[in-house]
Amino acid sequence: MSWEPEVQELNRRRHLAKQQGGPTGIAKQHARGRLTIRERIATLLDPGTFQEHGKATATPDYDANDQPTGFVPANYVVGFGAIDGRRVVVGGEDFTLKGGSPNAAGLRKSVYAEHLAVQYKAPLVRMLEGGGGSVKGGARRGGTVGEPVFSAPRFRIIADAMGQVPIASIAAGAVAGFPAGRLVASHFSVMTRHTAQILIGGPALVERALGVKLTKDELGGAHIHAKSGIVDNVAEDEADAFAQTRRFLSYLPSHIGERAPRRPCDDNPNRMEPELLTAVPREDNAGFDMRAIVRCVMDVDSFFELGAEFGPSQIAGLARLAGQPVGVLANDCRVYAGAMTAQAAQKYRRFVEMCDTFHLPIVNFVDQPGFMIGPEAERAGTIRYGMAAVCAAAQASVPWASIQVHKGFGVATAAHYAPGAYVLAWPSVQSGALPLEGGVAVAFHREIEGAADPAAKRLELEERLRAARSPFPRAESFAVHELIDPRETRPVLCEWIEWIQPLLEDLTGATTFPMRP
Amino acid sequence: MALVEVESEVTGTVWKVETAVGDVVEEGDVLLILESMKMEIPVESPVSGTVADLLVQPEDPVREDQVLALVEA
Repeated sequence: MSWEPEVQELNRRRHLAKQQGGPTGIAKQHARGRLTIRERIATLLDPGTFQEHGKATATPDYDANDQPTGFVPANYVVGFGAIDGRRVVVGGEDFTLKGGSPNAAGLRKSVYAEHLAVQYKAPLVRMLEGGGGSVKGGARRGGTVGEPVFSAPRFRIIADAMGQVPIASIAAGAVAGFPAGRLVASHFSVMTRHTAQILIGGPALVERALGVKLTKDELGGAHIHAKSGIVDNVAEDEADAFAQTRRFLSYLPSHIGERAPRRPCDDNPNRMEPELLTAVPREDNAGFDMRAIVRCVMDVDSFFELGAEFGPSQIAGLARLAGQPVGVLANDCRVYAGAMTAQAAQKYRRFVEMCDTFHLPIVNFVDQPGFMIGPEAERAGTIRYGMAAVCAAAQASVPWASIQVHKGFGVATAAHYAPGAYVLAWPSVQSGALPLEGGVAVAFHREIEGAADPAAKRLELEERLRAARSPFPRAESFAVHELIDPRETRPVLCEWIEWIQPLLEDLTGATTFPMRP
Repeated sequence: MALVEVESEVTGTVWKVETAVGDVVEEGDVLLILESMKMEIPVESPVSGTVADLLVQPEDPVREDQVLALVEA
């Protein structure tokens, strides 16, 4: 007696499970300009590499004679695959079924994704589209309710996974409730510009609770969340979101026990760009393009910026130096002179924690005038977030190089140095407790007030101190490792990358403080 | 033809207005310069077009996200 009938039935069920919401559900999804979860997985991964877990999961319906009448596939698809030949776990809601709201097996599979990634030490890519739980599931009467009191916290694995493997989340439709929580519990998150919204609660909930009538897009469209920092990046379409995800993962190790993958580099480590000599203007108040400086120094086309619109006075991103993946931090003086705002500080802390978790060396281009000041900065609680950034740097365990490009004032400047930092300075460097202009008015207030022309006196004092400013004492005093010609920055840093290789070997494993959302 | 709002990224004051209503501008041309945290902050046109309106003048205080100018793309 063969098992042929069961095998045939199994194959039929596997086939049915792949039908998703059927031709109507799939057509609706396509009409919204979106791919289905199976199309998304196939587009993200290297061709033919998807190995699904739970191929026949579903909720079957039976008639009175126990004969199957219907078969609703689980609305979460998960499994192994490969990106650029490296193993990943990928999972996502099937929006063609019940709007992505979990059915029984779908919920189990979604919870399983993090466990799978941690257990098998592979990065996790979440493709999110769905509304989380529904009250419909809670309407039963009688029987046991809730989870047993001794249950492990359901979200523990969400937190633990962030300290073990890289996690990237893609919002490619409406993402609300718990899926929105999953999205931010990531090392990289990206949403599509025209087809995604991210909401804690959707328009109906908001109108009921607050009497405010807003569309999904007005509440949580890309224009809102690029600035709120809920997503790192915005993608033009799903293909762009997949490309950005693949790119993000290329800088990271597969898990914390591994080193970030160093690539052969065809960009000359000794390349010296002439424009670096004139990149910082001699006039104190003139701005300059810090991103151009970063691009000149890093391997050509390797700089991948994260969260450009959130806390924009601080630039953060990933890049390569002599093929070695590094985290890059830099100040943008064109936004509040590069000052550390509450948002910039949050971005800074999370980025340092991410680099620490995955042992990426940090290269920091410093032009820090201090914490942001003023009534809005006080209301935003800037100093607390600022000190959190300072503490993240002070406890960082990764190799760290700081280049003093221009300003370095106040306590906020401490956030730009970690223990054992390799410190370089450009001739354009200025530093102290306070910038000259404000600082002179405070320190010499008696002398200024006592003068016949206080304004002229203040300018005279500022001018005198400015003339006395020189980059050489810090080199003489070994307050920096080297004062360098700005054009030497790349060669000097590429040499440093070679020195730190043994340190990176020792750093693999868990950090005492992993990144949290 | 669409009117594009040019917003301030920062709180500060207007230092110089570099264009006039009716000027033809390219994407990236400086419309005006703000001063904030003692830095000069150029505000560039996000599109190529014609300056349709300038809503601020020198020494005006401006706030983050305030519309400074309109450019007809």
